[in-house]
Amino acid sequence: MIQEFCDWLAGTALSQAFANAGWFVPTVQSIHILMIGAVIIMLSVLNLRLLRITSSGPSLQALAESYIPWVWTALVILLITGILLTITEPGRELLNYAFRLKMIMVATLVVLTFVFQSAVRKDAGYWTASAGRRLAGSALAIASIVLCICIVAAGRLIAYV
Amino acid sequence: MTAAAPAFITALEQQPFSQAIAESTWMFPCFESLHVLALTVVVGSVAMMDLRLLGIGSKNRAVSELTSSMLPWTWSAFAVALCAGLLLFSSKASTYYNNIPFRVKMVCMLFAAVNMLVFHLFTARNISAWDYGKPVPAARVAGAVSLALWITIVATGRWIGFTT
Repeated sequence: MIQEFCDWLAGTALSQAFANAGWFVPTVQSIHILMIGAVIIMLSVLNLRLLRITSSGPSLQALAESYIPWVWTALVILLITGILLTITEPGRELLNYAFRLKMIMVATLVVLTFVFQSAVRKDAGYWTASAGRRLAGSALAIASIVLCICIVAAGRLIAYV
Repeated sequence: MTAAAPAFITALEQQPFSQAIAESTWMFPCFESLHVLALTVVVGSVAMMDLRLLGIGSKNRAVSELTSSMLPWTWSAFAVALCAGLLLFSSKASTYYNNIPFRVKMVCMLFAAVNMLVFHLFTARNISAWDYGKPVPAARVAGAVSLALWITIVATGRWIGFTT
């Protein structure tokens, strides 16, 4: 079924127009990578603070307030550029196990980021209020860091598997 | 077709480790993933400092405080990206040597280094005067030039894969 959808999508005028423009894929991929850079650096700053590895500069809440809206903006651009790349080469993405794994990890990362943001928005000291919360915060931060690393690796491996 | 390249480039390509990377199915993708991961940290952290210099982002933070918290990560990630990049380069050295996007990327990195040196040696000398406020024009220019160069570095880097 997915194969049929890929064949149909690859046959559309839009997909063929994108595929025939030699500059299209590298340009969209470049924007995609730049946005990944934006997400990774902002989440890393928040995760390292959540892990209490870094402590200088603004508070966790202040950092979250200024970064998280940009993280969501970058994620929307990542979704749009990702869809454009999928329209161009549907089979390369949708039938690819590295791509599918990447999508599951992206969905998980989005949920974790949302959980982190909702908690810190409600209560600035949420993640430091008790030993249990600190542990939960650390676990969330480690999961987020591992997911970021694996998402980048899986994204690059789409080209090879 | 292998175009002509200087002797040290072809010698690098013939090293046992270069050939091992070229022949292995998994080494190149692994080093490439590491390279991409490290460069996202480099570009992300550099962009954050550039946007502060441009007066767009992190406006409530001192420039010096932001850069001192970012630069250790930038340099660590840069070292990783450089090592992984050298390993990728060595596997097909003469091909990359003759690749136009690769050359443009290297020139842009050189310009980025010069831009950074000029900023640190001259522009940042009187940083205390504008550390908390709007950066001086020279600092804003440095931020804009850096951002443009790093975007070009990512784009030309991606283009290498479509031209070799």
